[in-house]
Amino acid sequence: MVYTKRNPALLIIGLIMVGIWAAAEFNLMQGYIAHLGGKKYKYASELTTIPLWFGVIAVVAGLWQMLGSHKDGNLDYYGSTIAGAMFILLIAMLVRWFIAPEVAVFSKTLGKVGNTGKYWHKLLGLNYVVIGILVGIIIVNVFRIPAWAQNGVRLSRLGLKTGVILLGTLYSAAELRNLGGLSIVMIGFFVLGSVGMVLWLGARRNIPNSMGGVLSAGMGVCGVSATVASAPVVQAKSVEIAYTIGTILLWGVGCMFLFPIIGNVLNMSHTQFGAWAGTGILNSAQVAGAALAYQPDGIETLKVAEIFNITRVLVLPIIVLWLAVWYVKREDTGENEKVNVGRVIFAKFPIFVLGFILLFALSTTGIFAPPLHYKGKYFDNTKPKTMLTAEEKKVLTDNAGKVKLKARKEALQRLIANGKIMSIEDDTQIRGLANSKVMGKKSGKILKKAHKAVRHTAKKIKAFRKWITWLFAFGLVGLGMQITVKSMRQAGGQPAVIGGIVGFVKASLSLVVVLFLISDKI
Amino acid sequence: MENQFDRGSALSIFGSDRKEDFMALVLALAIAAGVYFLVG
Repeated sequence: MVYTKRNPALLIIGLIMVGIWAAAEFNLMQGYIAHLGGKKYKYASELTTIPLWFGVIAVVAGLWQMLGSHKDGNLDYYGSTIAGAMFILLIAMLVRWFIAPEVAVFSKTLGKVGNTGKYWHKLLGLNYVVIGILVGIIIVNVFRIPAWAQNGVRLSRLGLKTGVILLGTLYSAAELRNLGGLSIVMIGFFVLGSVGMVLWLGARRNIPNSMGGVLSAGMGVCGVSATVASAPVVQAKSVEIAYTIGTILLWGVGCMFLFPIIGNVLNMSHTQFGAWAGTGILNSAQVAGAALAYQPDGIETLKVAEIFNITRVLVLPIIVLWLAVWYVKREDTGENEKVNVGRVIFAKFPIFVLGFILLFALSTTGIFAPPLHYKGKYFDNTKPKTMLTAEEKKVLTDNAGKVKLKARKEALQRLIANGKIMSIEDDTQIRGLANSKVMGKKSGKILKKAHKAVRHTAKKIKAFRKWITWLFAFGLVGLGMQITVKSMRQAGGQPAVIGGIVGFVKASLSLVVVLFLISDKI
Repeated sequence: MENQFDRGSALSIFGSDRKEDFMALVLALAIAAGVYFLVG
């Protein structure tokens, strides 16, 4: 089978990308950018770089597809994926840079919704992530994916997994210490609770043990990986695996769109929403989708959601063992084929989770940013951006008497004496002092300047954030292209009812726990 | 999600999840190396 199609589509995609770059680079779309927000438009720097790189790749590959000779083989098979990948990427670009900002502009003309203080697009989470997935769903169900793009669309999951592995570079040991304990407690409770509940409901509703077993793993742990890993242990049939995956998909797609809306209505913090999505949504890709939909231009929610998601995957071996024991007890007729549980876990455990842990371990050594960085920012007073001037020191000295707290007073004295903040603890005190405004406006500005002078952004972490954003945007548009009406119908019957009940209970209870136990900063 | 390809599955160009995971790991390490050597 030869996969490469002699079609001008890839070449045209490349030319469109280069055209976008040229229009941005030579200021041909200034009027349109002004319409989309002018100085508030966040993607101007992306427009002058990303479409050029990928446009050139697409043009070269497009010429090869059109003019080269193609024979059955690896080059043909893997090379033919470029067209589909560029198709997804172009849609992600158009949605992120133009369609989502256009929706925001339109939403603002409608005014804020009631007394929520939010515009429609914010409340409904209509950002580039959600719109990208919707566009993908519409393309596959209404227009169908063109033949030349079909092979490449199957790369979307690779993009998502690569993004999850790279997320490991963004966590610092301090963040993981804060989140780790909480995620273990919450995930432990909800994973074991949902597995137990599915098994209990399955027994009451008389579904086969193999169906109950595989559904419980899928609903409890992490969607498709858990379903596949537990299938041989409970001897599930193909149709039961398909039903479970259909149920997870149906539930997950609903959650991906509903969670951000509920989060916006409840004004949840990034940490709260991340913890809720990472606990309540079943599939890794959909967890990422909901988290990015909630915070499309930042990565804090995604980071919290993924640490909960990864913790959940790490529980997989325990669940497989539990199901093995449970299944043997319930079906013990002496005729069952013995399954080597250890071998199943070794064969099916998702390696990308280990990749995440590997990159996190590399990151904690400080090769990408100082180990104590927080959200890519770190303290370093050995090379402050600026020092305090004599005049600024005088302003601070004149107002020092207004400071009452001893710790703040001492930090201020050290700042005046040295012209820069001397330690990370002093930095916390000085920032608190600036925010308290007790020293007046002028002093406040000087304190903030001193704080900024010793806070540095890790350029490598910034680069990783960009890569991760684009890998997820690519993966989620592709994910939308794999959500067909037919696959949703597979959920029908008892599995969908049981999955719906357990999924609803899990999502509701985890929401309550998150709202009551998690504050903005943990 | 019917598979119409003679290689890979309906959702992936790779023959197994394990292979896809390894490719994701290789890709992630390549990006990490690129960022490490070329940025900052």
